[in-house]
Amino acid sequence: MGENNIVVSYLPLIVMVAVGFVFGLSNVFLAEILGSRRNKTNVKLDTYECGMEPVKTARERFSVKFYLVAMLFIVFDIEIVFMYPWAVKFRELGEIGLVAMLLFMALLFAGFVYVYKKGALTWD
Amino acid sequence: MSVTVLLFGILAVVAVASGISTVMSRNPVASAMSLVLHFFTLAGIYLTLQAQFIAAVQVLVYAGAIMVLVVFMIMLLNVGREEQMRENPGYRTIIGTALGVMLAFQVGKTAFTDVAGRHVLPPGSAVTGTTEALGETLFKMYLFPFEAVSLLLLVAVVGAVILAKRKI
Amino acid sequence: MNLQSVPLEYYLTLSAILFVIGAVGVLTRRNAIIIFMSIELMLNAVNLTLVAFSQFFGDPGGQIFVFFVMAVAAAEAAVGLAIVLALFRNKQTVYVDEVNIMKW
Repeated sequence: MGENNIVVSYLPLIVMVAVGFVFGLSNVFLAEILGSRRNKTNVKLDTYECGMEPVKTARERFSVKFYLVAMLFIVFDIEIVFMYPWAVKFRELGEIGLVAMLLFMALLFAGFVYVYKKGALTWD
Repeated sequence: MSVTVLLFGILAVVAVASGISTVMSRNPVASAMSLVLHFFTLAGIYLTLQAQFIAAVQVLVYAGAIMVLVVFMIMLLNVGREEQMRENPGYRTIIGTALGVMLAFQVGKTAFTDVAGRHVLPPGSAVTGTTEALGETLFKMYLFPFEAVSLLLLVAVVGAVILAKRKI
Repeated sequence: MNLQSVPLEYYLTLSAILFVIGAVGVLTRRNAIIIFMSIELMLNAVNLTLVAFSQFFGDPGGQIFVFFVMAVAAAEAAVGLAIVLALFRNKQTVYVDEVNIMKW
């Protein structure tokens, strides 16, 4: 496999990243160029016939419940990431791989049960 | 100079710039966003190394999960306001920078001595970056560390809940 | 497989630079969250070294190690940020030099 093949195989990814950058930056700059600079009143900056009416600032303090959910998300994200290499080699690994993964998941499920029993997931 | 070297160069420059921006930003949210960019460039560098699986996991775990938690934490503590940004450049900055320069010198000297290039395999001898190869190694040679990771994550869950929840 | 168009030294040098940036961040910043992010920078620099050596020596063990480092980083994120949260609750600060009750 030559070097050109490597670059060619990642070409769609490179193009996608480039298009994403260009699109995002061009929107910001076009809004700066084409948009009016004068008369920026609150009414004119408001949402117009679309979206929710803004009720207050977005710089509010978040609740700690969000942190608990995000923390649980991380742990189970890691679990899923460890399942990818297991899944692609599932047939070759056989029973040992299955038992190993079941043990892995059982330990993490114990953590989930703990969190559930402690009520960290209740949204009161 | 080949295309891969060019790509590596661009990614390396962006990685260093976003790393510096992470450390230097006054605003923690700007810091976090620079770190997200840094993780993406590192994923690109892993791709130039042909470590596809690690590149994908880098985006999934670091940019996708850990940074979400960090940004939540910044929002939770709301430390982004200007009046709390009073990091005075004092003696600690000088000492830290001096230590950094020393460390850079040491690490650079070690990196350039003789290890590199001695055991390098000839190109075309091994395919190690694919998910299959990693699954093979992980479940045949590193089975016990794999199970230990689940214990580690269990302890992390319990510890984080105990620390973060107001009423247990 | 051709991956050796970029020499190993380039990766090691980049990794050293990134590690030093992270170390300087840990030593110079006061905000605990930014210190945490600098630690992540250092972990990533080491990960880069491991992946580079793993690919150049044809040994997947290095990448498995990166995998474990990522799991440890996730656990560290969960617990470390919870500690920052507990700190903020008790002392109303995230600046590490204002937390000196154990200092003698």
